[in-house]
Amino acid sequence: MSFLKSLAVTTLAGLVMMPSLSFAQERRQDTTPRKESLKIWGAQLEELEYRYSDDGEELATWNGDFFYGTDELKFRWLTSGEYAIEEQAYEGLENQIVGQVPISTFFDAKAGIRFDTPEGPDRTYAVLGIAGLAPQWFEIDANFYVSKDGDTSTELDAEYELLLTNYWILTASLDATMAFSEDREIGVGKGLVSTETGLRLSYDLIDRSFSPYVGVVHERKYGDSADFARADGAGTEQWFAVIGARLSF
Amino acid sequence: MKLIKPLIAALAMFVSVTALGAGAHGDGHASKSGEAGKPSEASRTITVAMYDNYYEPESIAVKSGETVRFVVENKGNLVHEFNIGTPAMHEGHQKEMVKMVEHGVIQGGKLNRGMMSMDMGDGQSMKHDDPNSILLEPGESKELVWKFSDKADIEFACNVPGHYQSGMYGNVNFN
Amino acid sequence: MKLRFLASAFGLMMPAIVFAGEYNLTVDRIQIDTGDFVKEGIGYNGASPGPVLRFKEGEEVSINVTNNLDEMTSIHWHGLILPFKQDGVPGISFTGIKPGETFTYNFPIIQSGTYWFHSHSGFQEPDGAFGAIVIEPEGREPYRYDRDYVVQLTDKHPHSGDRIMRNLKMMADYYNRQQLTVGDFAEDASEKGFLATLKDRMMWGDMRMMKVDVEDVQGFTGMINGKGPDQNWTGLFEPGERIRLRFINSSAMTYFDVRIPGLEMTVVQADGNNVQPVTVDEFRIGVAETYDVLVRPKTAEAYTIFAESMGRSGFARATLATKEGLEAPVPSLREPPLLTMADMGEMEGMAGMDHGSMAGMDQPDMEGMDHSKMAGMNQSDMEGMDHSKMAGMSQSGMEGMDHSKMAGMKQSGMEGMDHSKMAGMNQSGMEGMDHSKMAGMKQSGMEGMDHSKMAMDDGSVSDPFYAKGSGLLPVAANGGKFLSYADLKAQKPLFEEREATREIELRLTGNMERYIWSINGVKYEDADPIRLQYGERVRFKFVNETMMTHPMHLHGMWSILDVGAGQLNPVKHTVSVQPGTTVYMETEVDAPGQWAFHCHLSYHAATGMFRKIIVEGGPETPAAAVSEQSVKVGGGA
Repeated sequence: MSFLKSLAVTTLAGLVMMPSLSFAQERRQDTTPRKESLKIWGAQLEELEYRYSDDGEELATWNGDFFYGTDELKFRWLTSGEYAIEEQAYEGLENQIVGQVPISTFFDAKAGIRFDTPEGPDRTYAVLGIAGLAPQWFEIDANFYVSKDGDTSTELDAEYELLLTNYWILTASLDATMAFSEDREIGVGKGLVSTETGLRLSYDLIDRSFSPYVGVVHERKYGDSADFARADGAGTEQWFAVIGARLSF
Repeated sequence: MKLIKPLIAALAMFVSVTALGAGAHGDGHASKSGEAGKPSEASRTITVAMYDNYYEPESIAVKSGETVRFVVENKGNLVHEFNIGTPAMHEGHQKEMVKMVEHGVIQGGKLNRGMMSMDMGDGQSMKHDDPNSILLEPGESKELVWKFSDKADIEFACNVPGHYQSGMYGNVNFN
Repeated sequence: MKLRFLASAFGLMMPAIVFAGEYNLTVDRIQIDTGDFVKEGIGYNGASPGPVLRFKEGEEVSINVTNNLDEMTSIHWHGLILPFKQDGVPGISFTGIKPGETFTYNFPIIQSGTYWFHSHSGFQEPDGAFGAIVIEPEGREPYRYDRDYVVQLTDKHPHSGDRIMRNLKMMADYYNRQQLTVGDFAEDASEKGFLATLKDRMMWGDMRMMKVDVEDVQGFTGMINGKGPDQNWTGLFEPGERIRLRFINSSAMTYFDVRIPGLEMTVVQADGNNVQPVTVDEFRIGVAETYDVLVRPKTAEAYTIFAESMGRSGFARATLATKEGLEAPVPSLREPPLLTMADMGEMEGMAGMDHGSMAGMDQPDMEGMDHSKMAGMNQSDMEGMDHSKMAGMSQSGMEGMDHSKMAGMKQSGMEGMDHSKMAGMNQSGMEGMDHSKMAGMKQSGMEGMDHSKMAMDDGSVSDPFYAKGSGLLPVAANGGKFLSYADLKAQKPLFEEREATREIELRLTGNMERYIWSINGVKYEDADPIRLQYGERVRFKFVNETMMTHPMHLHGMWSILDVGAGQLNPVKHTVSVQPGTTVYMETEVDAPGQWAFHCHLSYHAATGMFRKIIVEGGPETPAAAVSEQSVKVGGGA
């Protein structure tokens, strides 16, 4: 009896399955790239410039990133450096690899690793940050770093573009670093460490791919960090005239 | 059904009587294309069918001074006009017809005859009672007797907005 | 007897012999010269646009498409009603056409009018892979003309489609060169005051939205029939002739406002279907739409066909003349439009939208819908005041719809003032719509109150398919008549009129900053198909919650656009939904299989404003046939 029953069920299931199977075959699945997440890459050198300071120092600096990914997850390599031309040495050289996911309409969260490999001691940090567009069109990039030795610091990067025309753009930027613990070896004191303020006037020459600019940059160290710099025989404040270009591919 | 037919006929007669009886109303328009003819003088009958939005036939041949009885049937689903005149007359009339649509006298396939006699306040009415023209709802049929004058650039046309422009006109050729 | 048999056999064979047409298309990599730049692109039979395919209603066509590219391709027959496997959408109708392969499409032509075809693979269409289709009807056309020209518009960009997509994803305003500048601020400040201007900018800045977000992709050269403005495509005529111009917008992203200074245009067809002729001075053609117009130049002078982009960032230009080489003045571009808060009307549903920041919406320019300004209504005999066309009014900030001031309407009676279709207006913010004072209106018949011509206070004209106060509301350059969807009425109903069996709401959603476009907040990649049942009539409710215009295109079945004309609602294949508005269309689900349904802006479709529609059941689905068979097998066992 139960055998018969199960046979009936199997047959029934088969009957039900058959049309649905053929139905599934009939209904083509969209396996084209359209049905997949759109994969996008981009490369940008926001700053690629020559700096000449008020005390005659010459620097070549850059600040850029490369990304690859989807709306849901991007991988980003951020790179920045300051190369002292006379000394032929990297005063700063920083690379970050982060993964980036959206957390709100306008903001992404980032997590990854940062490698600092300038002249002198190297550092490796874990990075946690958010980046996005704040009200009134301020571009914000805020990061929290923890070094291998447990030193913690934060960095806030804000940028605002003022459109003089649709091609002449005045960009104001502020970069501030604050440390929660001292790292004497690399000249970082507790508290506000340094700021870099810039004002650059650019012109979009080829689309938004090539935009040469001129500008001024002001760098300053604060508190203990300033004291460390003075002790090491370096200045605490510098003005630069800059000339360079913004590139994107 | 039995009732409706005579009703339509009566209505058609009423309207055609008013249309034809308004000859005195003419504003000189008609002089270029001819004038209302006497039915007794009609030499022949031409049947013109109106569709959405074209005529059949699309051209007719007449002689100078000939009186023709036109039997015009609206076989379409929209209101159509049969109007004999020069292109310039049609153009002038089209402006009036735009008003008739704007004011809801002509609504697609319906004609609000009650409104046509109303004074629009600017000295104009929408009687549409010129003797060179008839305006028909779908399914209606009416007669127009016309005495053609000398050879002239004359078309029969529907001046319901957009219809003339989209080609609802026919040529009157003189031979 | 024998003879009759022979005759009937011959009769049977005749249609097959006479009405079978074979066509060949090759898909080629080509050079496209716009006059401003030369760009590698994709064309058909060596050119972009490809050849005009001329079919005849009743014809069985077979079209051999040879792919000479090194990538997959496809051709979609835009607007044609055909079996779904012939519809040409890779992944939905078929697998696509491999490099080197020749694929043969076979389908009957069961309609007439102006249509077009294009690749549905990647960004081949923006790269140039499109052409026109002209189908001659079986009977006569309900209009007459002496000459017939296809006028196919496109927005050719110096960047490839892939590059544009990438740039937009990197930076949504990459191509927007109409952004408000310091100079604009100074200008506005001197006009409206510094504080008012600052407040205005802060309000938009708070939302991180741009008033200038009308055209995502600027920097293109507008082209007509493959010619840029300087190359000046010319259509010849003799004075007094009637010319049929078949406008097709094959742009990737650009709406055009089309006019021919000196000529009125009589619109006789929209999206391939005849409409009751309406004479206009200018019309806006959405991406993928077609409009056929008749013009009649009476003199031998030249006329410019001028197609300004909706955002005024570019234009296409051609000429009608009695001989090649003649030119008429080319108008200059008008001021770019600016979006208003009205265009943000329905943004409540947007993720992360902060309601607090929308306080600015209760501003004077959005104050109550005041009918007292409807000067044009002081007429008698208005019947059937039909508000169903007022889709565009659904803004949240709409307070105080005050009918009490409609003094001019207190005349002979209004029959059937039908507010029941005012679905779009049932928004939370709509208080105090007071009909109680409308007593005076109940007199004799008010007929044909045409909202499409509602004269506004400032002398401009409103259009029920734009949000009230919308910055995108088109105005004719000569102050004359600008075509509205509300003017479109079918010449002949294509379908029996019946109640829709159900309504499906599709919110058009997006995130401009991330350049993500979606439906009901879900991108295509994450979305389930929309399932329709064969035989039902579905009412689609489009609620545009974005600040951009979306031309929504349903494949395989007609889109009956609700303009409030009942059975005479126009039948389209592409329905444009303006920001801040709700638009309804109905579809008779009469085509089994699966179909694409998407925004026809290339980069909106590619980023997710796309759906697959599955029509279940129906007499001719192979699936249904198979299931019938298997039931039989089961019965036998």
